[in-house]
Amino acid sequence: MTASTGTTRRSPLLWALLGVVAVLALSAVVRWLSKAVPAWTKGTGLEGVGAAIEYPVYAILLGLLGNAVLGATGLRDRLSGGFRTEFFIKTGLVLLGASINLSVIAQAAGPALVQSVLLISIVFGFAWWLGGRAGLDDKLRALLASAVAICGVSAAIAAAGAVQAKKEQLAYSASLVIVFALPSIFLVPWLAELIGLPAAVAGAWIGGNIDTTAAVTAAGALAGEQQLQIATIVKVTQNALLGVVAVALTAYFALRVDRAAATTEPVARQLWRRFPKFVLGFLATSVIATVYLAAVPAAEGKAAIGVVNDLRTWFLILAFVSIGLEFRVSTLRQAGWRPVGVFAAATVVNLLAALGLAALLFWNFSA
Amino acid sequence: MAQQNSGDETASPPPSRRLDEDWLAVVVGLALVALALLGVIPTGLVP
Repeated sequence: MTASTGTTRRSPLLWALLGVVAVLALSAVVRWLSKAVPAWTKGTGLEGVGAAIEYPVYAILLGLLGNAVLGATGLRDRLSGGFRTEFFIKTGLVLLGASINLSVIAQAAGPALVQSVLLISIVFGFAWWLGGRAGLDDKLRALLASAVAICGVSAAIAAAGAVQAKKEQLAYSASLVIVFALPSIFLVPWLAELIGLPAAVAGAWIGGNIDTTAAVTAAGALAGEQQLQIATIVKVTQNALLGVVAVALTAYFALRVDRAAATTEPVARQLWRRFPKFVLGFLATSVIATVYLAAVPAAEGKAAIGVVNDLRTWFLILAFVSIGLEFRVSTLRQAGWRPVGVFAAATVVNLLAALGLAALLFWNFSA
Repeated sequence: MAQQNSGDETASPPPSRRLDEDWLAVVVGLALVALALLGVIPTGLVP
């Protein structure tokens, strides 16, 4: 750390507020670049490139740049309280609900649920089995399997609580999620376009395969609006199943691994406590907007939803910038390469299984 | 992201914070949608 003694006296809340200011400042630059670059390159040989690079790319790159600068000046750890990726992405998803007609959610919910249950079972089972073969600690493989099979960092946090994992195991799992998610944001939409997948299949593949919810949203935003909507519905469904897996892990570890970890909390209460509440907000805004659009003139409704979409883009930019700011590789080096191998193999299985299930369940999807 | 830590300290505290962020996201999201649909945030105000 190179921060001065004077700066260390500031309260954590003040540092967190300064962190939010840093995220906002970088996000403003992202918003400006995403509008200015296409204008600058219009009519030049770079017009196609300028139009193709969208805000998630600028946000992640500027976040990584800010990460490097703040890391070098010793300020990153102090400001990290303001890098609220989870809050920003969840608010963005609640806002996204307003642009998805309830009928789309109703039609996609069935296949999304089937895909999520099968995918979580396949990928979790494979990661758990391979982690055992590689000799990983039971708690670490529970974290890694949850992270790769369900929804990345959120799942790792829930699993860590369920199996009472060590803090460094959680930090390691969360780092692995981000390391693998960052290239996926660009790779999966590119592959989907290369293969020529229909929009709904591409969205279901993105939502099923990419681990962390923020990265799913970034990849969906790069792929297109319909892909983003389906990817979000699939990922939200996986998020909703997080509580079920966490309760199962709690029971398994209490009965088979660590009897001292047994809990007397009723299952229903555990499920509710671990249920990601933003899913309710996502559904609520979809219902509100669907009813609203049916009640007002089309032009008025379109203008109002346009404002919501602008707000949604801002929150997603804040989340993607925060991803870049939070990224760190130091925790990975300390845990060795066997967990990386397990996570990488599970990611490949996830990639292929998600593609197969998305094609099977969403090929004829229309809404 | 969780911070690196040494020793055998478990990583169980996050649920309450996660719960707060979940509900906060719901409240903020719903409030913004309400403001936009009621016309309190006019078109063009959000940069």
